[in-house]
Amino acid sequence: MQPLSAADTTVIRGITVRKGPAREACFTVVEDNSKLSFNADPDYEKGKDMSEGMRRNRIHTHMHNEMQNMEIAAQTLVDFADAPWELRMELARQCWDESRHSAVLLRRLQEMGGHKGEFPVMHYEWNITCMQDSLAARLAIQNRTFEGGEMDILKVHAQMWRDAGDKVTAGLLEAILSDEIHHVRFANVWLKRLAKDDPRVLLKVLTGISFMKWVSTVFAPAPDDVNASGAKVTDTVHPNPTNIEDRKLAEFTEQEIAELLRQDGFGQIVPRPS
Amino acid sequence: MGLSVSDRGKAVASFRYVHVDLMETLAHWTPTSPEMEVKLLLGEHIWDAAQNADALGKRTRELRLPLQHSLRPVDAYVELLKEVRQERDTSRRLSAFYDVVLPGLDARYHAYLEQTDALLDGPTVRILEQIRNTSARMIKQSRELRAELPALGNVDRGWIDAMQKRESRIPTLVS
Repeated sequence: MQPLSAADTTVIRGITVRKGPAREACFTVVEDNSKLSFNADPDYEKGKDMSEGMRRNRIHTHMHNEMQNMEIAAQTLVDFADAPWELRMELARQCWDESRHSAVLLRRLQEMGGHKGEFPVMHYEWNITCMQDSLAARLAIQNRTFEGGEMDILKVHAQMWRDAGDKVTAGLLEAILSDEIHHVRFANVWLKRLAKDDPRVLLKVLTGISFMKWVSTVFAPAPDDVNASGAKVTDTVHPNPTNIEDRKLAEFTEQEIAELLRQDGFGQIVPRPS
Repeated sequence: MGLSVSDRGKAVASFRYVHVDLMETLAHWTPTSPEMEVKLLLGEHIWDAAQNADALGKRTRELRLPLQHSLRPVDAYVELLKEVRQERDTSRRLSAFYDVVLPGLDARYHAYLEQTDALLDGPTVRILEQIRNTSARMIKQSRELRAELPALGNVDRGWIDAMQKRESRIPTLVS
């Protein structure tokens, strides 16, 4: 890939990251979790506010994330023109999938009386992923880590919408989850293949993951941070347990799933590797 | 008399080059065009262009060339594709792609189909017919989007005419 120029990057909290993609004026792009506007109504379980405004906010956030995922896949096609053709085909297909996801969520948002640009958005995933100069690192960060995490989130959220009586949105999220499994799976398959062909790829992956962890730590909200809606940021999130079934479909190994379960706090029941 | 195996291989490999290039152009425009609805359209069409390139690339092996083989077209056409990709204004991007390049390619495929032996070269014929159908859908979708968001249709007619004329003056893609 061509080296990034100064015009391609920006500095957030002292860290140089890839400058965000183009946005219409209706979108307010923020660089900090505390500038988002998630509510934390105490009538709901922590992080599971499903009041009318928060329903639209959740759909809006997801719609924007899907659009951002499409932009990342597209930029990866541009940046790595010499990648194997079969892998480029996977990325091209991902562009269409993410485009459909974003479009269907925009349609749902409008059905709920909402509109694009209604809530602030972030370019966090783009900022980190598109900074990487290695295709393997991008697959490891975007597809395997961020979208892998999205599989966990989607499973919990589909149930939240179902519990809240909205079967339509729950069904949309379940359909999106089904597509995301393949995006994670092809990354897992190709990471193994790329590393087998050239073991130095693993070093690039390691460097990329270290960068992602560093940015995540620096960008993480402080315990008392209050967001644009006046809610404590820590009250707007809830745990998303590892989606074991779908991670297996996405070709995570038993060992990798066990490690994720340990991180979820289930270390006591997960067998230790021999 | 129809086209030789070599003629057909060169044509198919040149068409493949173009579709890979178009896929990359759409991919380049997806993060750099601000309008959300445009991004979503481009995202879908990236996959269409990739599938077109893939089908042509499978055919190259059947025509005594390597699998997924591309041949660089004539300089004038490569230069046109390059300029289209470098366009920064969304309205002009859409017009260049959907009013100039795709219709121009359709005319070239039509000419190929007129020349080739439809029975002997049946696999290429099927692929090009499929690509023509896909392109017609892509053009239709772009027109619907521009009808929905009229600001995207604000392109100087003279500019479009000049681009179309320039495209049609390149007699063949095959170098």
